[in-house]
Amino acid sequence: MAGPRSHHGIVSTEPAAPGEPVLRWASRARSVPEVGRELDRIWSTVSLAAVAPDGGVERRIAARSSVMNLVVIAGRSEVGERAASIVEGLTGRHPSRALVVSQADPDGPAWLDAQIHAHCVLPAHDAPETCSELVYLTAGGETGQHLAGIVAPLLIHDLPVAVWWPVEPHFESQQSHDLLALADRVLVDGSRWSGDGLRQLAHMATLPERFRVEITDFALVRQARWREAIASTFDRPNLLPHLRGLREVHVRYAARSVTPGRTNIVKPLYHVAWLAARCGLSVERPLRATDEAGDGEAGASHRAVLRAGRRLVRVSLVPTEADAPSGTTLAVDLRCERRRSVLEIDVTAMAEGVVVRATVDGEPMPERRFHAPRKREPDLLAQAIDEAGHDHVGAEALAQAAMILGEPRALAAHRRAH
Amino acid sequence: MTRTRAAATSTQKAASIREERLARDGRRRRPRRASDNPLREGLRLERVPDPHTMVLFGATGDLSHRKVFPALAQLWRTNLLPAEWHLVAVGRRPYDDESFRAEVGTALDRNSRVALEPEVARQFLERISYHRGDFDEVAAYDSLVERIAAHGREHDGVANVLFYLATPPSAFPTIVGQIGRCGLDHEMRGAGWRRVVIEKPFGRDLESAGRLNREVGRVFREAQVYRIDHYLGKETVRNLLVFRFGNGIFEPIWSRQYVDHVQITVAESLGVGERGAFYEETGAVRDVLQNHMLQLLSLVAMEPPAAFAADPLRDEKVKVLRSIAPPPRGRVTRDVVRGQYGPGWVEGVAVPGYRGEPEVDPGSETETYVAGRFEVDNWRWSGVPFYLRHGKRLPKRATEIAIQFREVPHKLFAEADMDPQPNLLAIRIQPDEGIMLRFGSKVPGLGLDIRPVTMDFTYGSSFAADAPDAYETLLLDAMLGDASLFTRADEVEAAWSIVAPILGTWLDAPPPAFPNYEAGGWGPATADALLSRDDRRWRRL
Repeated sequence: MAGPRSHHGIVSTEPAAPGEPVLRWASRARSVPEVGRELDRIWSTVSLAAVAPDGGVERRIAARSSVMNLVVIAGRSEVGERAASIVEGLTGRHPSRALVVSQADPDGPAWLDAQIHAHCVLPAHDAPETCSELVYLTAGGETGQHLAGIVAPLLIHDLPVAVWWPVEPHFESQQSHDLLALADRVLVDGSRWSGDGLRQLAHMATLPERFRVEITDFALVRQARWREAIASTFDRPNLLPHLRGLREVHVRYAARSVTPGRTNIVKPLYHVAWLAARCGLSVERPLRATDEAGDGEAGASHRAVLRAGRRLVRVSLVPTEADAPSGTTLAVDLRCERRRSVLEIDVTAMAEGVVVRATVDGEPMPERRFHAPRKREPDLLAQAIDEAGHDHVGAEALAQAAMILGEPRALAAHRRAH
Repeated sequence: MTRTRAAATSTQKAASIREERLARDGRRRRPRRASDNPLREGLRLERVPDPHTMVLFGATGDLSHRKVFPALAQLWRTNLLPAEWHLVAVGRRPYDDESFRAEVGTALDRNSRVALEPEVARQFLERISYHRGDFDEVAAYDSLVERIAAHGREHDGVANVLFYLATPPSAFPTIVGQIGRCGLDHEMRGAGWRRVVIEKPFGRDLESAGRLNREVGRVFREAQVYRIDHYLGKETVRNLLVFRFGNGIFEPIWSRQYVDHVQITVAESLGVGERGAFYEETGAVRDVLQNHMLQLLSLVAMEPPAAFAADPLRDEKVKVLRSIAPPPRGRVTRDVVRGQYGPGWVEGVAVPGYRGEPEVDPGSETETYVAGRFEVDNWRWSGVPFYLRHGKRLPKRATEIAIQFREVPHKLFAEADMDPQPNLLAIRIQPDEGIMLRFGSKVPGLGLDIRPVTMDFTYGSSFAADAPDAYETLLLDAMLGDASLFTRADEVEAAWSIVAPILGTWLDAPPPAFPNYEAGGWGPATADALLSRDDRRWRRL
């Protein structure tokens, strides 16, 4: 983790430049009550709140931020260190208190080690400093089996709790259930899960109803620019009716492995799920892997059939050899038919954005480009912290994804949860 | 309010009953609108405007360099401008594309809120081209038409155009007239939208504002006109709407029943600086009271709008302005105070008086301070005074709205060493944006002493510090067609009606005894008397 580890209290009282976080406090503790006492000590230490840059006394540290508790279930210590450095870097968008929890030496004796840091940032020259706390907890032995018991007493009351699993979560474990019971929001990245990621996705879709939590899947959030690009085509009033004649959705994604189930297809599935949710499609035939690869396909694709009234919508998720990381969406192709008119849309990713090409009855429409660099994990985390409300479009897309996977109860559960 | 939500709503114009009935009977289709697009739901937060050409008149001026280009560059940096966006900078000075881009690049280095990476700056500057011409030069407009059309052909075939008039107001009628002559204002079906953004001041009195509105109205429909008052784009001002109408606990006490009075302060520590010539013709009333301060007042006093969309919002603001009875000429001297700063000390530095500033008449009668007592004569606010003050060279820069509540009806704590002070809600707009609530608390101990304490919310402690600049917000809104935060013609005229008798009375009065306050002070003594007469006093900021 970044920052010195040997301090036992105030690290720096030097004035900070606006926008640049400064480590003001660092100390260690060996038990949960001790961590609590250290956290109290930060804010009761007069010398931290009053510094004298020019010999006079000036109040500089005004407040701890009042945003949220962020609990990071890191598992391994290296993941914890990476997560901690991301949290430290969220200048000005900090959670009030971040608890980064790692486990170590599961077969050894029970122990707890905590490093407590306070990072402060000056939003502007004439504004007071605002600080956030980062507690890096490592639990050894059996202590590591009771993470909720460590986390619960350290949460700031009345602030929402977000639990972030930077690695693949095991939602079915009791440990996860205990943590979910504390959470208001769960942050995950479904595109990093092992295998095709679909089993975990279906499981995750049940959490909102069971634990009353909001889900933020970075895999879905990342696709915002794709959605913007696809939606923009139907902003044209003359093309909007074609949306009701949607017939085919093909998503091509990068794949290095030709074996079905080896490439994570959570992101390709989300494209379909979002479209289906917004267009009110039901599932005629759930998503299944086909037996063999088609022309130009790197492996067997996945296919499903959706329904809108009497109209069927054919869906395929097609693996394609490409340099991009496995599971990355390469293109979303839509085909819509209305009376005798055919609208075809091809949305493809570029390095720095998305481009939309459309034809109506073979005649090309003006191309549109959306400047959209890929969002990095810190951006996604910052966005999740900023947008704390209920994202019903995301929730519906997740429920619809589970439906497409053949979980018919998912949508009903989603409706009960919201 | 989220700006984008308002944008969504504002475009959802309801169909008429006849339209709906004919559509139901299959005899006529209801016109389709982009807002009917189900894929748009949930995407509004970061909606990218349609591809368009922006035509910036006055591109070489100070406002463009300090505010407009930096705001556009930030929108580009955050991917909120369409990839096909293009700006035609219109100015009189002899630049070509390259030299003008270099000039803008320098302005960005100096004025950008967040520094641009070189590649991002390069991409942004590439989208700017320079078009030389005088504002009254017919040929310049004819070639502008061709330039816009060419850009439309290159990109989308749909020539959306946003005109931005960052010019002196005297040029507005000429430019708008020429735009009309060339037909650049026409929004033909399927041929794209045309909008015009106009910078304040919108006239210099009621008559000239009405004339300007008529001249603009001869070319553009009101729905195409975006009058920019940058105060309305500030985060805290926008948050005022959320604070009032997004929280249930404040609105029930937001009336004459609980509110004793309201104070709105816009204090500046700076003098007129290099703007002496401009300020000589303007003064505090025209520069700030008529627009920023009356806008703030109307946001504080307005009724909840029927919807968060441009016209319902502006309808309610206009109602407030129309409820403010302009002070009769005989009461202006009693209810409105003017002042002008003399030499003094501000923030530890000796500063000259207004009459000693560059480009200022040594015998100037222009006011640099104004304070007034206004009443909103409606059901909610009858009898509640609104005290407004604005001045230059005051001790500090501070903009604040303070809602002073009434005293408790019964003094229960007779033994206490002091009566509980009335509650106060202060909405700080700048600097250190936030909201403060003052209430009484018992001092720990055996006695029953009461002291006022505050609950303080600061933006920096809860949200990202890099809130967009007001110009970023407003420019994006204009590109998206959301007029919620822009001023409508009738609002402008209603505001001028309020200040017209003040300016008229001063014009007829004998020369004022200026200067009447020292730079670094809180204004003339008569401003204090304005409140002490009502047994009140200005808040110490």
